[in-house]
Order: sequence, then C-alpha cells, then structure tokens
Amino acid sequence: MSQAPIVRLQDVTKVIGKRTIIDRVSFEVRPGEVFGFLGPNGSGKTTTIRMMVGLMGLTSGDIHIGGHSIRTDFPKAIVQVGAIVENPEMYKFLTGYQNLLHYARMNSSITKERIQEAIELVGLQDRIHDKVKKYSLGMRQRLGVAQAIMHRPKLLVLDEPTNGLDPAGIRELRDYLRLLARDEGTAVVVSSHMLSEMELMCDRVAILQKGQIIDVRSIRGESGVGSKPTLEEVQFDVDHPDAALGILEGQGSGRISDGLLTLSSDRAGIAAINRRLVEAGINIYGIRVKTKSLEDQFLEMTGSETIG
Amino acid sequence: MVNYIKLIQNENMKIYRRVGTWIMLSFIVLIPILVSLVVLLAGGDDDTTSWPLIMLESYFLFSLIIIFTVVVSSDTVAGEFSRGTIKLLLIRPWSRSAILLSKYIATMMFALFFTIVAFIVTMLINLALFGSTSDSNDLGGIVSTGIVGWGDVLQYYLYQFVTLIIIVTFGFMMSSAFRSSGLAIGLSIGFLFAGNIITGLFAMADKVWVKYVLFMHLDLTSYMDGGTGPIPSHPMTLGFSLGVLAAYFAIFNLISWTVFRKRDITA
Repeated sequence: MSQAPIVRLQDVTKVIGKRTIIDRVSFEVRPGEVFGFLGPNGSGKTTTIRMMVGLMGLTSGDIHIGGHSIRTDFPKAIVQVGAIVENPEMYKFLTGYQNLLHYARMNSSITKERIQEAIELVGLQDRIHDKVKKYSLGMRQRLGVAQAIMHRPKLLVLDEPTNGLDPAGIRELRDYLRLLARDEGTAVVVSSHMLSEMELMCDRVAILQKGQIIDVRSIRGESGVGSKPTLEEVQFDVDHPDAALGILEGQGSGRISDGLLTLSSDRAGIAAINRRLVEAGINIYGIRVKTKSLEDQFLEMTGSETIG
Repeated sequence: MVNYIKLIQNENMKIYRRVGTWIMLSFIVLIPILVSLVVLLAGGDDDTTSWPLIMLESYFLFSLIIIFTVVVSSDTVAGEFSRGTIKLLLIRPWSRSAILLSKYIATMMFALFFTIVAFIVTMLINLALFGSTSDSNDLGGIVSTGIVGWGDVLQYYLYQFVTLIIIVTFGFMMSSAFRSSGLAIGLSIGFLFAGNIITGLFAMADKVWVKYVLFMHLDLTSYMDGGTGPIPSHPMTLGFSLGVLAAYFAIFNLISWTVFRKRDITA
C-alpha cells in the first residue's frame, strides 16, 4: 500500500451559525479502496460529502483530490471526481441520452463513444432515448451512475446510493462498485446508514457521530478464517436449559436468555461444551455463534442517542 | 472558447427541449396575426394603417416577452435548485461564475430571439394586410404615439429591449437569491407592474433623489419624439436614464454573482 491517496481530508470543519456541523474530520482514501461513511441521520455524512465535491464551502481545513485543493483549485480537483449526491436528480423533460450529453459537454475528455460505453455498462441501451420522466427509480439510479463514471474519475463519491433501490439493484450496484475499484483502481467513497450494506461493500468504514469521526476500521481481513481465536457469544438450543447450565457449572459465565443457553467461548470450547452436554444426556437442537455484526458494534458505539 | 460555447448549448437545450417554450413562441406568433385579422374583418380597411396597429401589438407582445423571459430566467437558475439538478451541474470542471454566465447568456439569447420573432411577425402581417402608405393614424385613441415608419418601430423595439434586459437581470438576481422560481417570477413581474404606479407616485415628490429611482427609467419610449422622459416634472435625458440603468444593471449582477458563487448547495 505505497500508493498516494487520491483524496485527503485534513481537519475539515464546517460551522453553520454557531453550530459545528463537522468537527476536524480527517481521512484518506487510496486507489482501489472502497471507503464507507457510516453514521446516524444528522451526523454529518452528507455535509462531508458535499464539501468533498465543492457543493458546500469549508470553514477550515482542506480537501485535496489528486493533489489539488478543492478550495483553491476547484476545476482541477473536481475533474477527477464522479458523484451522485443523494438521489440522482436528472432533467426529466430530456431523454436519458440528452442528460448524459449535457454532462459530457462540460468535460472535454468525454467522446461520443465513451457515452455509449457508459450506457452499455449500466445496461440502459434500450431505454436511453426515452424521456427520464418515464424512468423507474432504478433506471434513474443507473443513469446517475453512468453520468458519474463517464469521464473515468479517479474518485467516485456516492451519497446514500442504495436509497430506493430494490435488493437486486443494490446487489448490482455493489458488484459494480467493487469491480470499478478492483479493475480500474477507482477510489470509492460511499455513505449510508444501512449497516449491513456497508459491510458488504466497503474495505474500510469510518463511523461518524455528531460531526466527528469516532472510529475507522477495516472490514475485510480482521474477521477472516484463521484469525486468532476470540471469545464469541454462543447460543445452545437445548431441551433443559436449567439442567444444562448446572452441568456446565464452572465453565465460565453461562446464562439463559430467551430459553437459550448462552455463554461465551472459542471454537475449541464449543466442541468441548457440546460433548459434555451430550454425555450428560441433554438433547441439543442447535448451536449458533452470534458474531457481532457491524450493526451491533455501531449501535454499541453510538449508543441509542437521540438526535440533537 | 469552443468549450464554453458548449455550456451555452447546454442551457439552450434545457430551454428549447421543453414544450412550454414552444407554446410561448406560438403566442408571440399567433397574437399579432389574430389581432390584425380581427381588425381587418371588423371593417377597418380604408382609414386604418399598419403603424398604429404595429405599435399596439408590439406594446402587448413586449409585455408577454418580458413575462416569458422572466419565467425562463427564473427556471434556468431557481429551477435547477428546486429540481435538485444543481448538484450534478456544479460538480463539473467549471467555476460557478462560468456556469451562471452561460445561463445569463442563454436567457438573453432567448429574449433576443423572441423579440426578433415579434418584430418580424408584426411587421409582416400588418404590412401585408394594410400596407404602409396611408397617413391617417388614429386607432380609436388607444395609441397616440406618432409612429409613422420603420425607423420609429426599430427605435421602439430597441428602447423596450433595454427595459427587458434590466428586468431579466433583476429576475436573475431574485432567482439566485431565493432559489425559488415562483418567488423570483412573482417578484420580477410585480416589480414591473408596480413600476408604473410607483413612477406616478414618486413623480409627485419634489425631491432630487427621485431621478435615481430605477422605476423612473424603465420606460425609455417616453424619450421618443424629443420627449423629456417618464416624469414631466423632472425632465431628464436619454443618456442620464441609460446611466442610471447601467448602475442598477451592475448592482443586480454583482449581487447575483456574489450570492451564486458563495452559496452552500443544500438542495
């Protein structure tokens, strides 16, 4: 990982009135990396993304894209960015093709062939000459992706891209983003409040709360096979939980929740417990390892805070 | 430069690919034709000449063109905000000033296009129906300006076009300040019509600053035939009026550009 980062945020701060909306946010995203931006509503995800694409000004700090500052060198910085900020709002009275042509005209590097290529990539070739007002939300989202990738940006920024998409559409978008990151080395920054979605899509996730990054963690690699044995929560579905708990006395802290025998153990421990219960004549109907999802970790971290 | 023309091309596409624009244009074409035909059928053939009718129709068409241009100018800026399309528009390798300028130019081209169409249609239909030679020029006292030829009509269009530019610039300012096309349209048109009333009101005030009020200078046609401007009690010259208008023009544009460049896009 010696590549220079494509985008670098340094102490980005946004103050509106007296409220600090974004408070000294810093991070970097490298080529080929999918970076997630996670946070409850009102945590500042959209504001940060809007600052990254120059739609909102910075109060202090700076954002560099490919080495160019978004504040002082806007055209050179933004030309490397493709973006969908919230819903892809298009000109509904124009056709899909006219919409793309509109954005292509603003960037001299886009040829007619490239527009065609982008249309085929998102699979809109059959409907591209229809007016956008006749498009479904999923088709509009595809058109949004097409306008964002036409100029082969080094950085793709997507704000809540899965909003309003059906599961197939979400999956398609996810595969496509990963493909772009892997094959073209595009850096992707994506924001969402859909945790499970982010888990599948991203390499790294920053968790944002009240305008501050409270944690950045890698998603891939840490919880893979062969990682060091960790204690995990295990649930045993048995016919006599109370009796089972008695048998396991002295084997750590077991408890009964929802009629299930719950205790923490590692892989070897689970096998041992299972054997002891079977030997003691307890019927076991199921063993479930409760992996902590990103969602659990997220809720643990941000707590059940109220907005404000 | 070639690239910049593409920006204007984009704005034009967004204006002329809408059905509404062509409905507006059909008004400009059909109204003078219908009015002249009605006058012809009503029997005003012997003592009617083209010039008063041309004046009457031009006067009405200009009011329409002002309204249409204000609608288009509001839509071109505020409409992008209300549709949310402004976000995808501003994340291109162009400064916001360049984008706003392309919109301004496209709107002015629209105004010019409609004015030229109005001029050609009114001239053609009336000269075809009534000819240009008769010297009797009273059309029931509706229009009493002594318009008698091509030169006068051209001058009239030129003066009115100056007014049009000022009002559109005002609409542009409203549009980038309020981001709401309804409000921008309403205020600009209200501004135009309130102008007449306010002119009369201020004309009564015997103060020096009255001469610098914008509304006093919106109707330049009062300088035709050696007139002394819109307020008889405050004689002015055309040059003075143009100077005042130029100052307002600069202020309006300064506000539009400053607001548009600095604004956080939250649409």
